Amino acid sequence: MTSKLKLGQTLFLFLLTLALTSYLARQLQLMPPQALMTDLISPNLPPFSQGHLFGTDNLGRDLASMLWTGALGTMAVALTAALSAAFFGYLFGAVSALIGGIVDNFLMRLVDALLSIPSIILLLTISALITAPEFTKLLPDLLLRALSVSSYSDGLLPFFSVVAAIAATGWLESARVARALVLKLKEEDYFVAAQSLGAGSWHLLRQHILPALVGIALLEATLLTADAIIMESGLSFLGLGLGASTPSWGSMLRDAQPGLLAGNFWAALLPGLLISTAVIAIHLLCEGYMDTVSHGIRTRAR
Amino acid sequence: MDVLLGSAQKDLPKAELAAITEELGLNESPVKQYLLWLKGWTITKPEQMTGLGLSYRDGRPVQEVIGERVIPTVVMVGMALLLSFGAGISLGAILAYLSFRGPIAKKVAGLLVAFATFVYALPNFWLAFLLVALLALRPYLYTLPIFGLHAPGASGSAIEMLPYLLLPAILLSLRRLAKIALYVQNMALEELGKEYVLVALAKGLSRAQVIKRHVIKNCLLPVVNLLGLALPAMVGGSVLIESIFCVPGLGRLAVESAFARNYPVLMGLTMLYGVVVTLSSMLADILSSMLDKRLELS
Repeated sequence: MTSKLKLGQTLFLFLLTLALTSYLARQLQLMPPQALMTDLISPNLPPFSQGHLFGTDNLGRDLASMLWTGALGTMAVALTAALSAAFFGYLFGAVSALIGGIVDNFLMRLVDALLSIPSIILLLTISALITAPEFTKLLPDLLLRALSVSSYSDGLLPFFSVVAAIAATGWLESARVARALVLKLKEEDYFVAAQSLGAGSWHLLRQHILPALVGIALLEATLLTADAIIMESGLSFLGLGLGASTPSWGSMLRDAQPGLLAGNFWAALLPGLLISTAVIAIHLLCEGYMDTVSHGIRTRAR
Repeated sequence: MDVLLGSAQKDLPKAELAAITEELGLNESPVKQYLLWLKGWTITKPEQMTGLGLSYRDGRPVQEVIGERVIPTVVMVGMALLLSFGAGISLGAILAYLSFRGPIAKKVAGLLVAFATFVYALPNFWLAFLLVALLALRPYLYTLPIFGLHAPGASGSAIEMLPYLLLPAILLSLRRLAKIALYVQNMALEELGKEYVLVALAKGLSRAQVIKRHVIKNCLLPVVNLLGLALPAMVGGSVLIESIFCVPGLGRLAVESAFARNYPVLMGLTMLYGVVVTLSSMLADILSSMLDKRLELS
């Protein structure tokens, strides 16, 4: 266990706990709703003022509770997006490499074409498309009713669209990684043996390929989480993020802008610091893990 | 249609609504619309300027709308690229030199590396608007203009934009700069363990000379490959930076058209970016094969 890994783990677990506790606190109604924490008479309070640990923003919302709730928004979006991107990307890459031939060529050129578009432009285009009523009307009414949202509500639909936009740009890289891995895997003896015993594609995929990829896919998903946090903050900053009543660190940055010129830089500083802490924690975690793994290999080889 | 007009739709007579739908070509099926769009830019002659369709907003050709926004973005991204590669490579070399030097210098290098990692983890737009607020409140810290593109009434040539775009370019380059510096340092340290370094040192060259003359040259090749990847990231970053610094460039056009659901412009921009990025990665490939003749074989 390296110190990097330890530090990364501690920070990341801390942020996750922040997100989970805020969810629980809201579900169990331990935390007063946002409206009650808002203090309209005293906006732009400095930190450590009475009743507001970190002060208030320019609308008088309590920063501490916003940060706490925002952890949930940011983490939920980032983790869901990263996991689904890694899952879909790895599946896509693995299947593409497994089938091979023309299909593989076509699928990979598709990935290349999408990769050549800068991710934030793709993000903008996708979120402009999937938040449009033309698209949401296509979603079956039943689904919308199940999620109990109308197409303009603040509930799960913005969450879904943000996650979809981030995942749609994130899966490309993992698809390429997975394809390269599977191509190498196809040369392995055990794989050739399984094939010559008459194993079908589905069996090969389930029994031999996916288990071999799970570890790396999880690592990739962790790294993607860091990217997703930054992307989410960028999207929220442009106003394409979660709805106004579900705060995230990115939308807090956006909300903090008007207060800045009134000298209230805390409202902008704190969420930004949390974002960078999360990103650094994730990078430390991954680097530490890689160090541990390669160290293990080195000692075993000796 | 619902998106474009919103509630204004109710006040319009049915016939007019149908006429607008017809004019924008929205009555066709999505597939047919896409095929028409494809046909537009492959078949129409370039001088007709209508190949990419007309902007929904003001009915001007998409090429024209995009064309007038190109220069600021090119100037800004160009400056940022120069900065991030120039400063990034030199910073990387300095870091490598420091960590090669002695225990105290190594500590300094470690601190710098930690700082660079920190910078890399920040969303650059956050740094940007904090800085803008700081400079706006304390004007004596920075004498160049912060917002806008050129002085009122000026002709708006690329050179006049330079001082205005310096700050955005610096902020745009910061993350990339940190990444390149770390990358170069890593590679230089690896190179420093090789035997030719020992030979050069034995020959009597100083450490700084070894790094300057031999090591950096060997590190340049992978950095050139980074160039191909840097451009899309920069262009992406420019979207946010341009909205903060009020630069009327391509990035802000993309945001505006995404909000206004101005699909023809958005499609045109996406195409343009795709082409530029593909060209840049091709250029990086060609450059690296020129730098290293061995690569041509494969």
